Amino acid sequence: MEIAAFASFAALVLAWIVLPVRSEAPAAAETAPEALPEPVAA
Amino acid sequence: MDLDTGNTAWILVSAALVMLMTPALGFFYAGLVGKRNALSTLLHSFFVLCLVSVQFVLWGYTLAFGPSQGGLIGGLDWAGLAGVGPEPNPDYAPGVPHLAYMAFQMMFAVITPALITGAFAERVSFKAFILFTLLWSTVVYAPIAHWVWGVGGWLRVFGAIDFAGGTVVHISSGVSALVAALVIGRRLARTEPHDATMTVLGAGLLWFGWFGFNAGSALAANGLAANAFVVTNTAAAMGALTWLTVSWIHRGRPSALGAALGAVAGLVAITPAAGFVTVPASIVIGLGAGTVCYLATLLRPRLRIDDALDVWAVHGIGGTWGAAATGLFASVAVNGAGVNGLFAGNPDLLVKQLIAIGATWLYAGVMTAVIVKIIQLTVGLRVREDDEVLGLDRSQHGEIAYQHD
Repeated sequence: MEIAAFASFAALVLAWIVLPVRSEAPAAAETAPEALPEPVAA
Repeated sequence: MDLDTGNTAWILVSAALVMLMTPALGFFYAGLVGKRNALSTLLHSFFVLCLVSVQFVLWGYTLAFGPSQGGLIGGLDWAGLAGVGPEPNPDYAPGVPHLAYMAFQMMFAVITPALITGAFAERVSFKAFILFTLLWSTVVYAPIAHWVWGVGGWLRVFGAIDFAGGTVVHISSGVSALVAALVIGRRLARTEPHDATMTVLGAGLLWFGWFGFNAGSALAANGLAANAFVVTNTAAAMGALTWLTVSWIHRGRPSALGAALGAVAGLVAITPAAGFVTVPASIVIGLGAGTVCYLATLLRPRLRIDDALDVWAVHGIGGTWGAAATGLFASVAVNGAGVNGLFAGNPDLLVKQLIAIGATWLYAGVMTAVIVKIIQLTVGLRVREDDEVLGLDRSQHGEIAYQHD
């Protein structure tokens, strides 16, 4: 049982290392510099 | 009989911990519904706490734990708590006031029908909900509690084991949720969880209260309670880690709601096993819970049954896995008063567990269908369509959870 317990946890840790995180970044146009507010003049 | 003050203190504190679980469940569920139903969903749990607290002292306790009538239900000898006082009842909890044991059991009776409310959220009328809770607590919960925990109950005599309510609480509520959702029908439109932070908070409070649920079920402040405490924490953690990982593999991202739901799945699965299995076994039980309960949530839409908050997937399937796992992993090395399971050389226990699971599925499912049909044919089950669109907070209660819509 101890072996199964260690193997279970090890499998999870391995998965966290190798799994990619699917990004849902906004489309390029939404983050283009021209879409950002004008900087306030000093 | 002398009182054991340490054990009495532990049972009273545990009863208070389990009490907290019902409003915690309200937060857990309220975060998962749309913002126009948040308050009504919270109220469902809070109202069950009040309703069943009175029902249980009047007739629920005696039906569940009173002198057995053929192993099926308790007699009415203790109606209104007649004869249930400060003296211990050695049949149930030696050294602990009978009233303290009753209070502990009352909190279990409270949270079980509250679990079902997640299945018919966002569309049930308040009247139907009240009637359902009262009938279900009397006709479904009390008999099953008697079968499993009552002295002379047929499943207890048969030799099936359930430390803290895998069959009594989780399978019964999970299966009933599925049946109730089937009869009541689907929501007009599915809503997105309106506040995941509320759900994670609720899951955390449920986890906290579950220490009373499971470790309190040792009915003494002893080593068995400590074992139940640690396996409860471990299975909850593994359930959360596993659900998060499986959903990450499936959907591409680690989900906060997934971690919360997984923790509850782990807690559900360890409940029947908490006083019978070792800590390493609880890791495997939590792993199984996070996996099978997540997979069950994927199955539910294919069944085309709108169990709104996945009560069946988490409690019905999680409870079934936990009860079966008890038959696999139970060991007398943990609890000398228990029995060995399959992996300790005793396949008989697994067979008995499967029979207990089947009996609970069948009885809870059939009786819930009857109850819901009776309500449908009398006061009706659902709110009007325009009330459902408006949201139950306004249409049923004339209140709102948030000022800004």
